[in-house]
Amino acid sequence: MTNTAPEQARAALDAVDRAQRLVAGEVGLPRGYWWAMAAGWLGLGVLGNVAPWLAGTATAAFGAGHGILASRLLDGRRRTDRLRVGAAVAGRRTPLVVLGMLFGLVAVTVAAAFALHADGADHASIWAAALVAAVIGFGGPDILRVLRRWARA
Amino acid sequence: MTNARFDELIHPSTRLTLVATLAAADWAEFAFLKEQLGLSESALSKQLATLEEAGYVATERRLSGGRRKVRARLTDAGRDAFDGHVAALRAIVAGATTPTESPATRP
Repeated sequence: MTNTAPEQARAALDAVDRAQRLVAGEVGLPRGYWWAMAAGWLGLGVLGNVAPWLAGTATAAFGAGHGILASRLLDGRRRTDRLRVGAAVAGRRTPLVVLGMLFGLVAVTVAAAFALHADGADHASIWAAALVAAVIGFGGPDILRVLRRWARA
Repeated sequence: MTNARFDELIHPSTRLTLVATLAAADWAEFAFLKEQLGLSESALSKQLATLEEAGYVATERRLSGGRRKVRARLTDAGRDAFDGHVAALRAIVAGATTPTESPATRP
């Protein structure tokens, strides 16, 4: 029989919790994913400006390519090559949060393009895409972290 | 349901943190564990060797980018022992049950 006091047991449980929260903090997508997404976003913005007739097809191709290439990443367990987060820790809602975030950013891009166009800016779709691409590239990991917390994913 | 089973092998704080980290992951690299636990290479190697000897951890050496890397993962026995130990700790805190001790008695 152990002679561990309740205070010691509580301290041990706290240590377990801290260790597991550190691993949970590793849930996310690789840095390269966000930069690739930002580049794609900007590319679509440019395409929408110079060849609007091709934009719809290109967007569909981009979405399909994302689905194929990034599907393994969307569970959020492979952010780094230094560990793979357990499925129970990563949760099952991370892919939905990522997709929701991307749809939200599409809406922001369209709204920004309309606003810039209304303001008389040239190449409004390129500027709107560049703005959102910068948000994705620099802030993607942080936005996802906040959204996961909100969604309790 | 997990049986509460206090495990003296897992209980020391460094080892408990190491096992808890591995329990939350499918696998982790030696460098990650070393950084998270703030241990020297020799200290971490020693802890992993102790757990591996008990059958709680499996390590795998891989060649990646011309460098040899070590991955560690918890075995099924290690996961059961960890779950049992956490249940025993909770039982102590709750004061509800008297946990039994595992055969592993190494400090």
